[in-house]
Amino acid sequence: MSARATASPARSLAVVRVALLVALSITTVGPLLLLVATSFSGQWFFPALVPTAWTTAGWQLGPDGARLGRALWTSVVLALATGVLASAIALPLGRAMAGLRGWRRHVTAAAAFLPVATPPLALGTGLQVVLLRLGLGGTAPGVLVAHLVPAIGYLALIFLGTFTLFDRRVEEEARSLGATQTQTWLHITLPLLRPQIAEAMIVGFLISWSQFALTLVAGGGEVRALPLEIFAYVRAGQAQPAAVGALLLVIPPAAAFVVLRWAARRNVASLA
Amino acid sequence: MMVSARRNERRATLVALLASMLVAAPVLVGIAYAAAASMGIAGAGAGPTSAARLIRVLNDGQTWAGLVWSLSAAAVATVAATAGAIAVAVCFRGGGLSDRMARALAAAPLPLPHLVAAALAVWVLGQSGMLARVAFALGWIAAPSAMPPLIYDRWGVGLVLTMAWKEMAFLSVVATALLSTRTAAAEEAARTLGASEWETFRRVTFPVLWRGLVPAVVAVFIFVVGSYEAAALLAPSSPLALPLLVAERSADPDLARRGDAYVVTLLLLGMGIVAVIVHEWVRARWESLEE
Repeated sequence: MSARATASPARSLAVVRVALLVALSITTVGPLLLLVATSFSGQWFFPALVPTAWTTAGWQLGPDGARLGRALWTSVVLALATGVLASAIALPLGRAMAGLRGWRRHVTAAAAFLPVATPPLALGTGLQVVLLRLGLGGTAPGVLVAHLVPAIGYLALIFLGTFTLFDRRVEEEARSLGATQTQTWLHITLPLLRPQIAEAMIVGFLISWSQFALTLVAGGGEVRALPLEIFAYVRAGQAQPAAVGALLLVIPPAAAFVVLRWAARRNVASLA
Repeated sequence: MMVSARRNERRATLVALLASMLVAAPVLVGIAYAAAASMGIAGAGAGPTSAARLIRVLNDGQTWAGLVWSLSAAAVATVAATAGAIAVAVCFRGGGLSDRMARALAAAPLPLPHLVAAALAVWVLGQSGMLARVAFALGWIAAPSAMPPLIYDRWGVGLVLTMAWKEMAFLSVVATALLSTRTAAAEEAARTLGASEWETFRRVTFPVLWRGLVPAVVAVFIFVVGSYEAAALLAPSSPLALPLLVAERSADPDLARRGDAYVVTLLLLGMGIVAVIVHEWVRARWESLEE
């Protein structure tokens, strides 16, 4: 192949790369800057490109910012509980699923994916009926149950992947050396899977954390988690408190994202 | 010993099957209840079985307009996100600084909740949003009203752009991982056998990438169809996207019509099931390809 024949596609690829890089920078950094600026904006009317007055009032989450402060607390408790409980339930489930072969495996994987893929509002409609019967409609425990449904499904799929790769011979060895089943679990299996369990808890946390429609339906609008307050502020045109809430909502997933990517890279590095 | 081991295994299989059904149970209960309510035997104003509610909703033009609108908006957003993700993965697959930067930038919206993405869209794309301000500064428009509406608009431009942007992050992460782990050896072989760069892409890189990406694409599509908060902040009031139609019907001032929400819910649930089946099918095909 002559040099001239390759030069032109190579140059057009370079142009495409630069264009894409510029577009990606603008669409990623731009919204983030806008979010931060809005959260500190005291006054920012059309056509100003930057706020005409700045304030930190929105960030005072104490007694004055009670709505966002309370919502933050509600969201943290719900998400922590979802992360821990969903992991505890999904772990044995994923393990059992990993033992299956053929159609049985496909059926269980599909069953676990169903609550994940079902539109949350439609999922909420069915859950609401059950929660009302149990007397949990419009309560925080009811919302927790609702959040657990997609979280368990998703985490079961994660643990299915984990246990598909897990070498059970380590457990068998412990058993043959006289360890009971409980001992094997506590001293062999769980310590070996600590990174995966931590990852599952983080993912479970995030599923609850960013949930909107399920909280709305199962909580009947009474359980004011952070996303509900942000939504209300956006709707009301109150951009500043909405942006403060949105940043609070973004920080944990962004931190988790960085940690998980770093952990994944370290895993790859340690394998190589 | 052998017999008891086999019995144990069968018991484990049964337990796993039952447990996974339990995970799906809330959806199944929802389907049963929505079906019963659609037939008028459950929910507000329950009475003897009647198809009146079902017929009324299925004969309502709003239902079908909403269905078509939701499916097409989700399809356009999904196609755009997929194309963007493939472009990023293919153009930036190297180890250089600009490659790594581009991949990180493309993946950055991944941890963003849909609600935040939608709120940002309101502040960027709205008629007095950042885009309109930039257009004003450049002298392209004289007032916010001159800005073409990009949110609450008939075609859902804002919703489609937002979802495409948000979901492109997820798909580009999947696509990048596929390219780095699955295709290198096959591409090398194709090149050694004399295939040109373009041929290698068309016959090796793209097919492998596409096959591996399809399950994620199916998942993105159904997430976009079912997303309530983004539609509530960005979609038009006519036609109403399906999740908004459910919310509107269930809050109908006419109590007798509130049950109509269950028929629309049933449509959404049905789409969820179809998506799950398609997802599992394409995933199984990919797995068999890997073995």
